[in-house]
Amino acid sequence: MALPAKVLPGFSAALYMQPTASPTALTTAALATYATVSALAISANQLSVEAIPAFGQDDAVASFSVAGQRQSDKIPTQAAPASMTVTSAWNPSDANLLLIRGDAYSGTVDRTFIISATDGTGTVYYAFNGRVGEFKIDAQPGAEAKAVFTIHPRGGQYGWSNTP
Amino acid sequence: MATQQSTLAYTEAIQAKLTAVLDPVPVYALMNRNWATQPKFATWQLRNVHQPVYTGPVQSVKGIDRPTFQISLFAQNSLDVLNMSDTVLQQLHGFTGMYGSLYVTKTDVQWLYHSYDDKLGLHQIFLDVTIDIPT
Repeated sequence: MALPAKVLPGFSAALYMQPTASPTALTTAALATYATVSALAISANQLSVEAIPAFGQDDAVASFSVAGQRQSDKIPTQAAPASMTVTSAWNPSDANLLLIRGDAYSGTVDRTFIISATDGTGTVYYAFNGRVGEFKIDAQPGAEAKAVFTIHPRGGQYGWSNTP
Repeated sequence: MATQQSTLAYTEAIQAKLTAVLDPVPVYALMNRNWATQPKFATWQLRNVHQPVYTGPVQSVKGIDRPTFQISLFAQNSLDVLNMSDTVLQQLHGFTGMYGSLYVTKTDVQWLYHSYDDKLGLHQIFLDVTIDIPT
């Protein structure tokens, strides 16, 4: 019941960020704790992003081949978390975008980000800690101005949780 | 967070701006009942109102609006209607600023075609005007 058991449309996903300029990122245990994560996933903390980019982990393998053997082998190795390039509508006074801008210029602020997806009854959260590595304003005249930034999740600092 | 503006405000703004641009030519939404007795007038209609919807359950997260309104210019005299269309082009194409109390970031005018209605006895020019409205 609590974990959505449906195929969800992309529109059901939203991105939230921990508030304040000097946040204390959640511990790995807290990232997988529903009560802690859901307290941060509130509308005041939502980033107005066009779409949620692919998230999770990248692929990484070591390939082995031995002379005289027909089949080689691929062994998964340390896979980096997937970097997320996010496009957001640029409102210059949006408090959350100002925090992102500050993070990007600092480069050392660890902040908890949360992706939620809901089927209307249950919600699943993917929470992770990350640093912002890029911040650009794309003011092309054909559409609204965009703030484009990249979140680089920290290795191993993530957790899944859902409504109990 | 962005909030979509009232579409009623769009229509009031268009009426106010067109009235100011074409003054003293009367401007009407959609139709003019007194078409037979007025030698010059303009009508307009709004269409394609749409803001792109962004992801997530919060309804107010949207992009800018870029609606189009069509202006129909009518005159019994061909020179009058050509003058009116030139006035609209000169004053609105590329315009950034206030439409009444609504701020428009850019106006793009496309002169569609020139026509004549034999039954009405009116020369006509139709223009599409696309306006960018910030949220």
